[in-house]
Parts: sequence; C-alpha cells; structure tokens
Amino acid sequence: MDFAYIADILPDILEGLGTTVSLFLWSMVISTVLGLVLALLRLSPLAPLRWFAGFYAWLVRGVPLLLIMFYVFFAFPELGRSLLFSPFWAAVVSLSLWTASYQAEAIRSGILAVDLGQFEAAEVLGMSRAHAMRRIVLPQSVRIIVPPFMGNAINTMKQTSLATVITVPEMALLTTRIISRDFKALEPLLALALIYLALTTLLVFAQQGLERAFRLKV
Amino acid sequence: MSWDVVWRSRAIFWEATWISVQLFVISLVLATALGLILALMRMSRHRALRWFSAAYVWIFRGLPALVILFFAFFWLGNSLGWSPFQSAILGLAASSGAYKAEIIRAGLLAVDPGQYEASEALGFSRAHYMRRIVIPQGIRVMIPNYVSNSTLLFKSTSLAAVIGLTELTGRSRQLANSTFQPIEILTAAGVIYLVVTSLMTLSQGWFERRFAVKV
Repeated sequence: MDFAYIADILPDILEGLGTTVSLFLWSMVISTVLGLVLALLRLSPLAPLRWFAGFYAWLVRGVPLLLIMFYVFFAFPELGRSLLFSPFWAAVVSLSLWTASYQAEAIRSGILAVDLGQFEAAEVLGMSRAHAMRRIVLPQSVRIIVPPFMGNAINTMKQTSLATVITVPEMALLTTRIISRDFKALEPLLALALIYLALTTLLVFAQQGLERAFRLKV
Repeated sequence: MSWDVVWRSRAIFWEATWISVQLFVISLVLATALGLILALMRMSRHRALRWFSAAYVWIFRGLPALVILFFAFFWLGNSLGWSPFQSAILGLAASSGAYKAEIIRAGLLAVDPGQYEASEALGFSRAHYMRRIVIPQGIRVMIPNYVSNSTLLFKSTSLAAVIGLTELTGRSRQLANSTFQPIEILTAAGVIYLVVTSLMTLSQGWFERRFAVKV
C-alpha cells in the first residue's frame, strides 16, 4: 500500500465532498417537507388522500433508487420540458422523492405517539394551543421521530453515491475517474471509504446528540 | 407515447430480469450464511471474534453499497480475474451480510436465555440447544425484518448496472437510449420491480404461517 499516493489523490477525491454534502443537505430539506405532507395525507380523514399517500409509498419503495434516478433524468424531460433537470438537480429530486417515502413513516409514527387528550389537559391548565404544541406535544413527538429520521438520513448520505450514474461529479464519480486514470484501485477506494465512514459516523454522533437533547428529564 | 415497444422488447426484459433474479438469489444465500456466522461470532465467548464481527458490521453498514461493489469489482475481482457478475455477487453479499447479521442477532437474543438452563437440565448439548430451541423461536422474530431486508437486496441488484452488468436496470437504460422511448421502457422496468417486490412482501405472511407455533 502506497500512503504517499493516497495523500496525493485525497485532494482530488475531496473536491467532490462539497457536491456530496450539497446533494445530501438539499435532499434532506426537500424530503422532510414532502415527508411531512405525506404523513399528514396518510392521517387524513379523506380516504382518497390516504390512498394517495399509501400508493406513493408502495410505488417509490418498490423500485430501485437507481431506476428512479434514470427515470427523473431521462424520462421526466419527455413528460414536459419544465421537468428537464441538470444532473445535480435530477439527483436531488430523485433522492428527495425516495427519502420522503421513508421520512413520512418516521414522522407519522411521531404524530401517532402523542395522545391528543393532552391538548385538553393543557387547555384546562390555561395553556394556549400554540404553547401546548411547543411545550407538550412536539417534545414528545421529536423523541419518537429522531431515531428513524436519522437512520433514514444516514441511508440518504450513502445513496448520494448513486448520483455517479447520471454523471454528477460527487466523490464516488471522481474516485472512478482516478481509478481509470492511474490503474490503481485499492488506494483510491480506501480513501473514499474512509471519507464515507467519517460522514456516516458523524451522523451517528449527531443522532446520539439529538437523542440526548430531547431525553426525558426526571 | 407508444407502448408496443415494450411488447416488442419482451425477450430482452425477460433476459435482464433473469439476470437480476440470479444476482438476487445467489447473493441472498451467501449474505444469509455470512450474517449467521457474524451473528454467532458476535455472541461468542471469545473477545477477538466479537470484535471482528462488530467491526465488520460497523464498516460495511457505514459504507454505501456502491463503494463495496467498487471494491469487489475494481480491486478484488480485477486482481482475481473475476467476471463482473461474480464481483457483483461478492459485493452485494458482503454488504447485505452486515445487515443480515444484525437481524439474525436480534432474533437470537429475543429467545429467553433461561431456556438454556432448562434444556441443560434435560440433557441437551449446546449445539442441540441452538438448533432445536433457539433457532426455531428466533426465526419467528426475524421474519419481518429478514423479508423487508431481502426486498432491499433485490432492489440493490440494480447497482450491478454501474459495473456494466446488463441486469434489469442497466439493460433498460440501454434500451431507453436506443429506442428513444425512455418513458415506456423505464416504466415497464419499474412495473417488473414492483411485481417482484410486492410478491416478496406478500410472501411474509406465508413465511410467518410456515414458522408459526404449532399447538
């Protein structure tokens, strides 16, 4: 193993770190909003809205993310010119649609976990609805939501690597370019693996921090 | 839109689906064996075995499956002269095995350890106890996670497209390019995936009945 060579190529791989992280952050923001909407649809009293949310989950979870990426990148523009995305945004759209189907489930379980009778109890104690939401209901929901939500976030971080197939210059793509340029595979892949391990481990720490922050204090 | 391109390409779809199914079945068998070994190592009395298993699971679950596939293809497979198909199976099994290990371990831990003393009193050996007491009860706990994780593995076979295998996703992408009809071709591929994954989800009920307690 050639450590000097690893030090040489590390900057080349890290050039894609910004793209990997932006893919991740944009997908997290969009999928959280979309996941919240889907969770509320799933809990709606109107049956067609519930069916739509159930159908969405079945559809998106039933096919590979790679196929969703190809679909968004190659088939969406045929459906309408406004759906023509650059590779980066096609990857963000795919990752968001995919992650949202899992976040919807995480958020729904958090909403269901809180007994709504607590709103009445808070009212009796003279709390406003907003105050009760902020101090009573949300802290309980968040505690339930954090573990599955962060688990999904870690998966999304790993899946940003699939953007390689639609030529987004993130870390995995840059690594395959180095492999074909230098005809060496082990060193570039080890460097790439270490960066991904650092990123996912960082997210695990973030999860533990959030869990501690929202822990019951008695 | 004209959908007859899908019907005209049915032989290609069939062939590509068959490659996906082969990738899935072989890597599922290997991943299950690997997961069982890792789970037993994790519960071993020897500290080195426990550490090895924990490190394996941490590394392979912390990495994107695609990166593991790259190791199997560009490095190991290339140095050993393996075909992309063999490399893909190795990569998929090595990645999925880490998840299977956690599922199997959770199932085995769910069995009340007090039964060990009971079986010892009845004169069971430890191996006999594992085979006849722990595993039949553990399997019942594992089924839901095992099935949903296996559905995930079937979808992950699409990663083989990245290293040039013409399984369902990779072949459909080529076909979408050559026919200029990406909507029809990619929708058809999606329907095939949905049929297979839905059947797998439905099979969960069958497995649960198959391993139910018979009283």
